Amino acid sequence: MTDPSERTTALRVAGADAAGLAASAERDGVPVVAVGSTGARALEPLVVATHEGTSAFVPNADADDVAAAVDALADGTLPDADARVDHDEVQASLPIPSIEGFAGERSVLARCGWTDPRDPDDYANAVGFSDADADAVLDAAEGLRGRGWGDWCADEPYADLWAGVRERDGPTSVVVNAHGNPGDALLLESDPFAVLDGASAAARAVDADYLYLYASEADEAALERARDAAAARDYGVPVEVVAGPDVYRAAEPTMAIEAIEGNHRLEARLRPPGPEVEGIYGNPTVVHTARTYAHLAGAIHGDAPETRVVSVTGDVADATTVELAESDTVASATAAAGVDDFTAACVGGKFGGITTDLDVGLAPEDLDEADLGTEGVVEVLGEDRCPVAFVGQRTNVASETNCGRCVPCREGTTQLTEKLRDVYDGTYDEGGMTELMGVMESTSICAFGRDVPRTVRTAMREFDDAFEAHADGDCPSGTCAVGGTQ
Amino acid sequence: MSSEHADRADAPPLTETIAPGTATDPDVKSAEEATVTVDGQDIVVPEGSTIIEAIEAAETAGEVPALCYYDRDSPEAEKIGPRSECRTCMVETDEHGMVPSCSFPAEDGLTISTDDEAATEARDVNLDLVLSDHNLRCTTCGKNGRCELQDAAIDNDVEEPRYGVFDDREAYEPLDDSSDFIQIDRNKCILCNRCVEACNDVQVEGVLRMEGHGADTRIGFQNGSETMEDSTCVSCGHCVTVCPTGSLVEQGITDAATIPLPGFSQKNSIGKSLESTGKEKKGPMTRMKRDEPKDLTSEARTDENPGDWL
Ligand code: SF4
Ligand code: SF4
Ligand code: SF4
Ligand code: FES
Repeated sequence: MTDPSERTTALRVAGADAAGLAASAERDGVPVVAVGSTGARALEPLVVATHEGTSAFVPNADADDVAAAVDALADGTLPDADARVDHDEVQASLPIPSIEGFAGERSVLARCGWTDPRDPDDYANAVGFSDADADAVLDAAEGLRGRGWGDWCADEPYADLWAGVRERDGPTSVVVNAHGNPGDALLLESDPFAVLDGASAAARAVDADYLYLYASEADEAALERARDAAAARDYGVPVEVVAGPDVYRAAEPTMAIEAIEGNHRLEARLRPPGPEVEGIYGNPTVVHTARTYAHLAGAIHGDAPETRVVSVTGDVADATTVELAESDTVASATAAAGVDDFTAACVGGKFGGITTDLDVGLAPEDLDEADLGTEGVVEVLGEDRCPVAFVGQRTNVASETNCGRCVPCREGTTQLTEKLRDVYDGTYDEGGMTELMGVMESTSICAFGRDVPRTVRTAMREFDDAFEAHADGDCPSGTCAVGGTQ
Repeated sequence: MSSEHADRADAPPLTETIAPGTATDPDVKSAEEATVTVDGQDIVVPEGSTIIEAIEAAETAGEVPALCYYDRDSPEAEKIGPRSECRTCMVETDEHGMVPSCSFPAEDGLTISTDDEAATEARDVNLDLVLSDHNLRCTTCGKNGRCELQDAAIDNDVEEPRYGVFDDREAYEPLDDSSDFIQIDRNKCILCNRCVEACNDVQVEGVLRMEGHGADTRIGFQNGSETMEDSTCVSCGHCVTVCPTGSLVEQGITDAATIPLPGFSQKNSIGKSLESTGKEKKGPMTRMKRDEPKDLTSEARTDENPGDWL
């Protein structure tokens, strides 16, 4: 059942409860596979029935739908479905249907929801585990950049840093940081072997002695698939899976290292030097996101398109993760997630930039120019949301969830929250906030405190009128009780 | 969190007895002797230096409070810091932009300016941020006149701190007056971590720790106790000697510097205190049973539940 060529007829059930549904549908002659999520979580459980080069998609399937689909396949037909896609008889990646939740051609997400995340042979047949040597890996990594705030080389090339680590003495570690970002968790959950293919190549490149897969304790499916995948074959380096606490800061690269070392309390480490010099137990360590390693695996196999994995969260039914060309826009991502009406979006993670204009390219340079973040998460603020209240709450969360180490972040977020409260009492101290945010940005130890100001700054720019109106006792969206207690 | 990897060959032996709750910082000191330029003066600093050593050797153009930096010439002091938390030591460098001088390696050839406008503003704002969370009740404080925060504020000409001071009495933490040797007033703590390092890295007693996160970050006890009396403290007093503020004061002199007015006392300044239970005193150097460390990493507030922020 592992050779994809035997799966010209197959039923795939994608999503969190897929295993149970798939087990209930076992029939002689029709392979039923519980696959990982496709990224379109709102459609799950999603049934994909494939027969002779056509796949039929049945979203939000129940046991009856699964049974009907198996019966249809057993009869040599396809079930009633929301969408059908024609493709090659032997297909190594998910065919993309034209239904809400999907967009664009996939490269790093190609096998999510298609290959069996529990079966290394499935990845081996679809792609093949690379045995590229250190030099070949470093060549493939040339020009590639790290992705996401959990990546020590976010938006920066990492090949030179790896070459340096290779030369350094001491037991070296490779960390896959899949903490917190839905795209990283999706990769671990649905295509863990691609991540391990890239990470074990990295381990050869830096001559590593240990490889760690790190994810949030909240992403249970990702952790489970990661544990199975780690045990499923020999990667040439010992692989260990570590769960970190379900708090945003735990994705910061040095806090990830603290969690891997087993510290009961997480705070950031000073830098420089960074983990590439003193990481896990003081030894050289490279820390990148699952996306970074998956893109590297693609590059090693000769498939390195300029794409970005983008997750749409916030006021949407379920998070949707898509892969889009860097030349594509934030608007394409929100459209794929079915977002029509919105007040604004927070682009680039928890402390991304607030914008109403989603016609911005996905390349890091384009996002940067628009003062938006590159984390690959677009948080939608629905129609009835007040942007002033949103930044107040977000800043308050920052003041309560930072690691507590440095003054500009620990005390700065508290004072910034105070100043946002003052707006409700009639004082909009733009100058004071700008001064404070400048210092938080330039003097905080880690990216947490350096990023918080972006959310407030961009909102003040984009919704200047709404801030002034609140100070004058009026909430334009009618959601805040201004002047009194909410 | 999993810690199944404790058998890793290069993992340090599990120091099960000491859990200070802080991060393991890299070595931030320079690897060799270096010549740097501070406000136009060439300064030579030995191997093992951060920028602040050069700043101290120079006539600086700007006032650099460097509040949390523990600047003593002793082998013990070497084991304390840099914590680099207060960020009142920021300076501009041509090579790396703005950096914290107490924890940035003194690399050969660095060009440093202390009077750069942005760096000066950053030091001022951060000093004011420290004051915003400090109850500035100097008149009843046992460290009045020998307090590093007071000195820094005076030297930096702070007249009206931008964000005020911590004066919401409702929000004050009770004074920990339960120990016969040391009084703790967390309302004066600047979280410099010196006491934690003195206790764990110098004395190797494993009593104090950093705990909590965000606005709730505080010094606490590794055995999970609420009071100094119930902690495993052996009353060596090292923490008191390193504390820059009136947060840790020897009993008996907590009101030594209080101005002599009726009703003026350190205790009245807070209004609530944790007292000794009067139970039989531990003999010197007796340890208490250690509790499991509390799970301090779970957060009540999330984006789904941002709470009542107004
Ligand atoms: S910036 Fe915030 S999260 Fe980072 S070290 Fe400082 S207090 Fe901790
Ligand atoms: S007096 Fe107690 S808390 Fe302070 S350093 Fe000594 S043992 Fe630690
Ligand atoms: S009690 Fe004193 S030494 Fe300890 S962290 Fe607070 S201010 Fe620093
Ligand atoms: S003295 Fe450098 S950060 Fe406090």
